[in-house]
Amino acid sequence: MREKQIDKLKDYKYGFTTDIENIRAPKGLNKEVIEFISKAKKEPKWMLDWRMKAFERLKNLKEPNWQKPKYPKIDYQDIYYYSAPKSTSEKPKNIDELDPKLLETYKKLGIPLQEQQRLNGIAVDAVFDSVSVATTFKDKLNEVGVIFCSISEAIQKHPELVKKYIGSVIPLTDHYFATLNSAVFTDGSFVYIPPGVRCPMELSTYFRINASQTGQFERTLIIADKGSYVSYLEGCTAPMRDENQLHAANVELIALDDAEIKYSTVQNWYPGDEDGKGGIYNFVTKRGLCKGINSKISWTQVETGSAITWKYPSCILQGDNSIGEFYSIAITNNHQKADTGTKMIHLGKNTKSKIISKGISAGFSDMTYRGLVDISSKAKNSTNYTQCDSLLMGNKCGAHTVPYIKNKNPESNIAHEATTSKISEEQLHYCQQRGLNPEEAVGLIVNGFCKEVLQQLPMEFAVEAQKLVGISLEGSVG
Amino acid sequence: MLKIKNLKADIDSKSILNNFNLEIKPGEVHAIMGPNGSGKSTLSNILSGKKGYKVSGEVLFENKNLFELETEERAHKGIFLAFQYPLEIPGVNTNIFLKTSLNAIRKANGEKELDAIEFLKLVKLKAKNLKFDEEKLNRQLNVGFSGGEKKKNEILQMSILNPKLSILDETDSGLDIDALKTVAAGVNSLRKNDNSFLIITHYQRLLDYIKPDYVHVLMNGKIIKSGGPELALELENKGYENFN
Amino acid sequence: MEEQLKIDFEKLLEKSNFSKKNVEIKRKNFNNFIEKGFPNKREENWKFSDLNQIISKNIKNLSFYNDLSKPNKIDQSTFIAGLEHNKLIFVNGRIEKIEFDYEEKNNIEILDDLVLEKPNNANNSLLFLNNAFVSKFFKLIVKKNYSLKKPLVIYNITNKDLVSKSINLKFDILLEENSSLKLIEFSNDKSTTNFININYNFDVQKNSILKNYKIDNNSNSNIKYYFNNISQDTNSVSEIFLLSSGSEFIKNEINCNLNGKYSSAFVNGVFLLNGSKHHEIKTNINHLVENTKSYQLIKSVLEDESKAVYQGKIFVDSKAQKTDGYQLSKAILLNDNTEFNAKPELEIYADDVKCSHGSSSGSLNEDSIFYLMSRGLNYKEAKKLLINGFLLDVVEKITDSEIKNLIKNIMSLKQ
Repeated sequence: MREKQIDKLKDYKYGFTTDIENIRAPKGLNKEVIEFISKAKKEPKWMLDWRMKAFERLKNLKEPNWQKPKYPKIDYQDIYYYSAPKSTSEKPKNIDELDPKLLETYKKLGIPLQEQQRLNGIAVDAVFDSVSVATTFKDKLNEVGVIFCSISEAIQKHPELVKKYIGSVIPLTDHYFATLNSAVFTDGSFVYIPPGVRCPMELSTYFRINASQTGQFERTLIIADKGSYVSYLEGCTAPMRDENQLHAANVELIALDDAEIKYSTVQNWYPGDEDGKGGIYNFVTKRGLCKGINSKISWTQVETGSAITWKYPSCILQGDNSIGEFYSIAITNNHQKADTGTKMIHLGKNTKSKIISKGISAGFSDMTYRGLVDISSKAKNSTNYTQCDSLLMGNKCGAHTVPYIKNKNPESNIAHEATTSKISEEQLHYCQQRGLNPEEAVGLIVNGFCKEVLQQLPMEFAVEAQKLVGISLEGSVG
Repeated sequence: MLKIKNLKADIDSKSILNNFNLEIKPGEVHAIMGPNGSGKSTLSNILSGKKGYKVSGEVLFENKNLFELETEERAHKGIFLAFQYPLEIPGVNTNIFLKTSLNAIRKANGEKELDAIEFLKLVKLKAKNLKFDEEKLNRQLNVGFSGGEKKKNEILQMSILNPKLSILDETDSGLDIDALKTVAAGVNSLRKNDNSFLIITHYQRLLDYIKPDYVHVLMNGKIIKSGGPELALELENKGYENFN
Repeated sequence: MEEQLKIDFEKLLEKSNFSKKNVEIKRKNFNNFIEKGFPNKREENWKFSDLNQIISKNIKNLSFYNDLSKPNKIDQSTFIAGLEHNKLIFVNGRIEKIEFDYEEKNNIEILDDLVLEKPNNANNSLLFLNNAFVSKFFKLIVKKNYSLKKPLVIYNITNKDLVSKSINLKFDILLEENSSLKLIEFSNDKSTTNFININYNFDVQKNSILKNYKIDNNSNSNIKYYFNNISQDTNSVSEIFLLSSGSEFIKNEINCNLNGKYSSAFVNGVFLLNGSKHHEIKTNINHLVENTKSYQLIKSVLEDESKAVYQGKIFVDSKAQKTDGYQLSKAILLNDNTEFNAKPELEIYADDVKCSHGSSSGSLNEDSIFYLMSRGLNYKEAKKLLINGFLLDVVEKITDSEIKNLIKNIMSLKQ
């Protein structure tokens, strides 16, 4: 089956390389590449048409440029849009070939050796049987009717669901990066929770067999049908080295009547070195639609990685009584930059939203919280509460708060609070007097500062996130 | 245990301590009394390693030069400061703080770190002895604590960390008489042959409950008189102004 | 409109007697304005108030040349009663009277024919427009160690003769060391649909105090833009209070640079709007050195279809340690079609600072109304009393008690 496909590709006139281990489209963004991706994924025609529509649209769009962190111009013709699976020869053969600094971080995070190997894409077949792990979970999920698979698989097996919901929250035409993703997305997760089902476990990319080959352009679609509940963890809990510069993923969430989706992210992509060289541009579009009445979507994010993080996980509160939440910790150190926050769009009656954002900047880094709260005139009796706190460490870094607040409804209330401060010398001295070294002291105080957000994370995740907070700020005390 | 010779300390080129000398032997309790601005808090800051002072002279703790040690290393060696104004650290659970602190010190001394169960057992016992409301240990460190609760929390930490030298910086201020008695009882229960106390205070009343071996009067940055417990009474009667 | 602009500009140059240097600068500014035009919502600064659209919606046949050759009658009834004050009176954009009866003349200087400077804000097309069309550029100097004995009121009066004109005024105010000035800018408009563009530049030197109260309280159909630039030296204080209520549209932009240590800036304001009025306050407070302080409090009460916007920014330079910056905006929306937009922004590069902002908007507290009604007030009275208290809080921040009482009277606030 597979060989047959390869054979076909071999004849492809644009000279795609086609050895068994490595299928790679040539560099560049054009119709042929998109056709290649769609073909390689055996997509139906409607999917290809959809991608092409996005591609056409892309020609008329410009990259947005209002964000605070500026970046060098990206040459979209110099990017590989499809490359899977990687050939074994490109991957590190064993753990000794990895950067010792990376291994040190793993050790501090307490990630087992096998896991470290998997995260770095080392072929470890026999050692870590992720297939069986995945299968065990799959059986359990099948029992209750939960669909959890790759988006490629869903396009083939559940076209009616994908067709109905893909692009329904992030329209094809939304903005440059989202449209680019729609044209060229390679893989991602698909989740469907049937009516009335409470998903029996936390779903995570962590358990999914394909997850370790994360592409540049992921697409995730999660649908919680009436009265269902799901908690989804997006795990990049260890620094994945990646040769790619740009990550432009799209994540769409849809909650129908009485449904709830909890989406947690711990992002620790490669941030570049101490001088700001290298690292990932994490330009992700994440948006949730509270479509049904009494629905709820909650975003929790811990952002410590990437050279530039630029994302606003948002909620559109369309259903009456729906609830949107955003809990965020963003840490930048060295030369990292982040411009992140959320949008809460209140359309339905009695809708509620809550934003808790904790930003920490150290070194030469720059951090911006940017957020929008918009209560429309129809959203009677709605409320928003926003709290944005920033912590600065040193005077070579920046912390900025840019909230946009729009209230068009006299029966609705918006409250916003923001503070900027530093760790006081006295607090540090107190902790040190109790035996903690300065880095432990800072870690402890910063974790206290972030507590309201850390509490929102599922247990196992919270522990790792706490350690990550400490590690990310290493070297910033002095 | 502690030997201070010719200690001089300046802050922003203002002299605070000058020609300060003191020796504390194992098992002894010393009290330092002095008016506002005499340099009492500077002394506790310097012994605990707070930054911002220009110091000279010599301070030896168990024959080790204190000035060569960082604040946390002094804590590891057994110096404890009960702060005059204990700090609030939002979001940090009191129990977790205590456990982190205890284990940091145990680790530095090559002792086994306590796990959660062992630690809670220890804390429960100590809290009970000090009549410290256990529920408060699950709250954020010192956040929303009353003045008295904060001070008791300091003594609780002291009793858990079991230091060699405890410095109590005006621990009596802001305490009502019942709290004062509890705090004193806590201190007294820790008195042993091999650990010492330096009690810094304005008033004599704490010394009614913690009997010092020596009392020193600090004025203008140096000790002007030393004696036994009776000196505190004399001071109380005369007042600082007429003491000279 | 471009055609009209060109005709009017040439007419202005022809009829006036500008110096060669000024003509040259005016041309530059004019060309800059032609290139940029009126700002629209694609500019971040104008996101919530699309001036281009507002002007084309409200003003038919806007023209830019204004004949200032004949004096206008001054309507004495517009003067502020019960307050002894100095006067600068403008009627329809023409200076009609300068009166400093209470002051030592050698300690005050007024210049009115200055060489224009290039606008310092390259992105602000309205400053280009102002420089191109302003007929006289005034400068008031308060000499070293002198404090004006009485407030100065700048009257901006327009009468019914003025229709669909663009009025441009420009003032420089220099407070030399240890001086002080209380400045009330008082608008009274009986004209219709004009665009009024006023540019203030304050230079507040060492130990000086500027108190600036801007009162716009008479309902009128004019569109207004104020640009206030303030530079503050060591130990200086600026206090601004805005009563933004009367005109159809006002945007008050305040750019304040705290250049000297221990300088402080206070901006307090009230939006009291009804009908289709749309007002905005935009502040940029720049903390550039150590130990500076800023405080901003803006309150809004919105009725009918009115809209208020507050964009407040605190910037803290990496050198500006020990900055204390505070910003709060509160709005009460009384009708279904009102709108309140806020963008309270912090941009901070120093770590030893205390900065915070807060913003809230919503309805009157029904529980409080109920409480008052249970004490015998009817709904309307209860509402009025609560709004009174809500606004009084800002007016109480005014440090000059005489002017505070005046403003309370104008707003019919009860103690």
